[in-house]
Amino acid sequence: MPSRARGWLAVAAVVAVGVALTFGVQERYHHRVLTLVFLWAAMGLSWNIISGYAGQISFGHQVFFGIGAYVTVLLIVKAGLTPWIGMIVAIGVAVLAAVLIGMPTFRLAGIYFGLATLAYPLIFRIVMDWLGFQEVAIPMKREQPGWFMQFSDPRSFDLLALAVLAATLMLSRAIETSRLGYRLRAIRENEQAAEAMGVDSFRCKMIAYMLSAAPAAVVGAVYVHAILFIVTPEAVFGLLVVSQTLVVCLVGGTGTLWGPVIGAALMVPASEILDTTVGDRLPGIQGVVYGGALILIMLYAPEGLYWRARQLLLGRAGRGTDAARSAVVAPAQDGAAAVAPMDRALLEVRGVSKAFSGLQALSDVSFDAREREILGVIGPNGAGKTTLFNVLNGFLAPDVGQVRFLGHDATGQRPSALCRLGVGRTFQVPRTFPHLTLSENVMIGAFVHVRPVPDARRLAHAALGRVGLADRADALPSGLTTLDLRLMELARCLATEPRLVLLDEPLAGLSGDGVAVMIGAIRSVRSLGATVVIIEHTMQALLSLADRLIVLDQGRRLAEGTPTQVTQDPAVIEAYLGKRWLARMGGR
Amino acid sequence: MRRLSRMLAVGLAVTLIAPALLIKPAPAAEDVRIALVVPLSGRWARQGQLKKMGADMAIEEINSQGGIKALGGAKIVLREADAGDSVEKAVSAAQRVLTREKISAGIGSWLSSFTLGVTEVAERQQVPWLSLSYADSITERGFKFTFQTSPVSSLQAEQALDLVTDLAKKSNRPIKKAGIVGDNTAASMFFYKPLREKLLAAKGIELIVDDVWTPPLADATAIVQKLRSNPPDIVFYGATNFPDSIQVLQKVKEFGVKSPIQGVGAWLVTPEYVKTVGKDVLDNIQTVVAAHPMKGQEELVKKFKARTGEPFMTQDPLCTYSHVWLIKEAIEQAKSADPKAIRDALARIDISSGPAVAAFYPPRVKFDERGRRVGAMPIIVQWQDGEPYTVVPTAVATRPVAWHK
Amino acid sequence: MGAAELVQYVATGVLVGGVYALMSIGLALIFGVMRVVNFAQGDFMMLGMYLTYFYTLSGVVDPLLGALLTIPPFFVLGWIVHRGLLARVTGGGDPQRQMDAQLILTLGLSLVITNATTMILSPTPLGIRTPYATQAFALGPVLLNQARSYAFGMALLLALAVYGFLTRTDLGKALRAAADDPEAASYQGIDVRAMHGLAFGTGIALVAAAGGLLATYHPIEPTVAGNFIVLMFVAVVLGGLGSIPGAFVGGLVIGLVQSLTLLVLPFQLQNTGVFIVFLLVLYLRPQGLFGRRARTV
Repeated sequence: MPSRARGWLAVAAVVAVGVALTFGVQERYHHRVLTLVFLWAAMGLSWNIISGYAGQISFGHQVFFGIGAYVTVLLIVKAGLTPWIGMIVAIGVAVLAAVLIGMPTFRLAGIYFGLATLAYPLIFRIVMDWLGFQEVAIPMKREQPGWFMQFSDPRSFDLLALAVLAATLMLSRAIETSRLGYRLRAIRENEQAAEAMGVDSFRCKMIAYMLSAAPAAVVGAVYVHAILFIVTPEAVFGLLVVSQTLVVCLVGGTGTLWGPVIGAALMVPASEILDTTVGDRLPGIQGVVYGGALILIMLYAPEGLYWRARQLLLGRAGRGTDAARSAVVAPAQDGAAAVAPMDRALLEVRGVSKAFSGLQALSDVSFDAREREILGVIGPNGAGKTTLFNVLNGFLAPDVGQVRFLGHDATGQRPSALCRLGVGRTFQVPRTFPHLTLSENVMIGAFVHVRPVPDARRLAHAALGRVGLADRADALPSGLTTLDLRLMELARCLATEPRLVLLDEPLAGLSGDGVAVMIGAIRSVRSLGATVVIIEHTMQALLSLADRLIVLDQGRRLAEGTPTQVTQDPAVIEAYLGKRWLARMGGR
Repeated sequence: MRRLSRMLAVGLAVTLIAPALLIKPAPAAEDVRIALVVPLSGRWARQGQLKKMGADMAIEEINSQGGIKALGGAKIVLREADAGDSVEKAVSAAQRVLTREKISAGIGSWLSSFTLGVTEVAERQQVPWLSLSYADSITERGFKFTFQTSPVSSLQAEQALDLVTDLAKKSNRPIKKAGIVGDNTAASMFFYKPLREKLLAAKGIELIVDDVWTPPLADATAIVQKLRSNPPDIVFYGATNFPDSIQVLQKVKEFGVKSPIQGVGAWLVTPEYVKTVGKDVLDNIQTVVAAHPMKGQEELVKKFKARTGEPFMTQDPLCTYSHVWLIKEAIEQAKSADPKAIRDALARIDISSGPAVAAFYPPRVKFDERGRRVGAMPIIVQWQDGEPYTVVPTAVATRPVAWHK
Repeated sequence: MGAAELVQYVATGVLVGGVYALMSIGLALIFGVMRVVNFAQGDFMMLGMYLTYFYTLSGVVDPLLGALLTIPPFFVLGWIVHRGLLARVTGGGDPQRQMDAQLILTLGLSLVITNATTMILSPTPLGIRTPYATQAFALGPVLLNQARSYAFGMALLLALAVYGFLTRTDLGKALRAAADDPEAASYQGIDVRAMHGLAFGTGIALVAAAGGLLATYHPIEPTVAGNFIVLMFVAVVLGGLGSIPGAFVGGLVIGLVQSLTLLVLPFQLQNTGVFIVFLLVLYLRPQGLFGRRARTV
């Protein structure tokens, strides 16, 4: 793919520029600045993997940096081990730490995760002091300086740091263009929707965290050899490291390769210049500039300079398509007559109850969904319909009861696991991944069964084509009508190749034309061989669409049967339909 | 993409070339440059500035007395570099100052972690470096260019213990129980270690309190409570972090703890203490330091106070003053401003008089093969009436010691 | 260890915790209403300490009174900071992004305040000398430091005042409505942005007052925030992000944990006790003691 080759070429260009600068810069101090630029860019990139791509903002990334520094130096001091090998050990320790930290901490959402990450470096600092490692000097090895990373020529450090940067750039690029990269972005955009589309968010976050720990450890090891010469807990686990990392990434741009590179290239030399020129008259000027940069960025370019520049340079690309009218294209297959529901139960719900702090949302609900049928779920507001769906697709675990899917017990499993088993879902309010194009949105679904990115893209295009959105594949969701969004969500769900599709009020907010298109699409779902369970408010639509209906009222199953049976059930009329409705319908 | 990385390259190049354009005025060709890498801004700015005051005073004296004779009256010029408040800044400052100009020798950097980092740079650049830091680790690295004039912490522990047990015996209050109270910064830890491991036991003294914390200290009650319920005969006190120290001293006053307090380091000798807790709390508290104005140095102290307006002269300016003179003497002996020649001269030097030994006790500077001053002994300083005075050894005391009020 | 000693440990922990509690209430209020974790909270406290010091320089103002006098100017400062900076951050329209952006903004603010103070004021520590800093009330064998006791008392009074304001006044109820459901509140005619400004201003004023109280026994320097900001976070999470009484209890608990950790861990690991409690709370009961159910994945 041309864009992929362009990406690698750009990485090579950065490396080339780095090499040129290494041999062009004369003064020793300038070499130090250059080394710092490379190292902080690499550190920023490593933070970016977990906090930029995956959106899990960590305030404790310096843990891995410090581990890299301490492990390599302590191995030299205690075992005489060369840091070239010591670094590899350090990577191992850092990745292990990532697992140990990530396992409990990723269960926390949003700000709690960030706050928890604050604690670990502080604990490390105290423990290092306690163990007696307040000041560990790197023993000077005069006989084998290169073997111990003690170069006298500063250019060697520049090249070493550049190599670390290059490796981290390649790692980031590899992630960006892989299935993991797309999944991480989906998690960042909307974790719940990602889960429903088969993305095991915990596992993806853990992998990202481990991948982010390794470069950070290497940066720490090189930093202490090139810049510090001694290791103190404050210097490697302290606030300066994390604020430098954050500034570099946030100013440059998160979620992209270029952000940390731009951020480091701007902020590091700026702060060094300030420090050397006015640092003694204005102590702390560096901190003021960093803080000021963060504030300005958040006010005027919250995604970072890279995205802002891109937006300004490329214009409002991706939003250009006119959002006024959606092309009302009837979806390809309408095999309503051809496919009949079977008798075998695909989904068995037995005695499911769910309560929320005193409110009984579901009460002993039992029913079956038969293969290839369209089962409607209706009931007044608050009847528990969406709660039922949340139980069926794994967002909630029932207090009591069982859900069996394809004969296996599916109660309480993760949504992503259920998705991989074949349970697909759309949401009452469409949950898109707002910064991904329609094609990329649908690819997330395709990734359940397919790994290579080009294959997923092909499947996504095909799925969009089936719902008539092929021409909008590269548009962002923000410009689309409700109908198009729902069709996209359906395409995304279908890309996961589900056996069971849960549709939560797919007709809400649609006009007459839109309803017709949507109904056609739903019928075509069945023709693909899937079972549909659909929550709807508008009775008319369901009457013609559904094979069977279930009525819920106040968490209880009120009735179950064909539309005719259900609409004539007095209990249903009493609770939900009302006699006037019946009278009105009687005339049809 | 291409455009962006081109812009990137240009931006990088510009920001890196800019500092080279900052021109520094070059000193006269014959001047000898001495680097001073100390904190001049941030948390420890005060200490760094005190050192600079000492250095400035020495340089003025040397230059006004005809400069360096062996180099035809060459003047000394100070090149100070701000170590800031982090190891990275200190090392960066050292690299900058040592690579931009020809520096003959250097002094610094107050905090032992800064000194460790800075001397690594000096060793690589092969520039001799003088430090007053106490930590043993400074001269345990096999370096050739690092010279440590203060007695190392472990040695100070031994000598200080001898001095105080002597004092106690003379006052008929022999020491049977001791306490260690302080933080876990490196220099302090190097002091406690030999005490705990052998020195106290060797004198038959029982260690009844051993409370070492990681700064910052939340509350001193638990520690001082122990001192109150079972008072030791001497408390070795290493709270280098000012807020922690204030809390402990206030608590000592509040709980009425009477045990003599023997500080470990010059951090206990600053005017800020008097301003913050007042002289009543400080009275009779002692501390072990590497240097303090001794008997016979009244002129020097007066000159310093007049120049700077400081209420008293302490270890930092005094040592730095002597360091500069010591470098001058080394240059005279080496007859050259070349750093390697100066280093060799310092390695051979054996000097017992003049301003170069003003700060040291006993007044002799000769370095061993590790770079440590041979025969170095600490001074004990005691707060009396809101000012710190040298009390031990009595030969150089400026006031008699007050032991057990 | 005797009972008297144990009581002393507990008493120390409670007194220290009282001031932590006051510091934390401000943070909890800001988070509760605006869903913003204010990283600059400790720095505003540091500014409050300096202002109190300047009041005492006059010779007639006792630092306890000085602490109270920091409330009006810091309320105004908080309001201005909110209006001028925080309210202008939109994060591109997405509420989650907006919260993240506001959080980063407070981080930037923290860096600016600490470093600007270092630039403008001397970094040398300052201290306020009061007679009661070195005196204690004796309750039997237990000694209660007078400065800390007064600080505790004032912290309690201020916390009660805030609580009363929030629960019993109309303005307080409007504030809580804006916190619970901004959309519904705005339909009721409540100016949500003004409520945010009110919350921020109050939160800053409270922590500045806490700083003034702290200054009665703790030296003042530009970097003092660093020691306390994490303790504040821990206290607030412990109590439940957004709960005022929770934050108060959380602060007391942190003080106790710090004190009682010394009974089980070596002194050098004193603060690890706090961090371990922090992590345990986050894992086992992220909504804290009093908070509503936290969203977990």
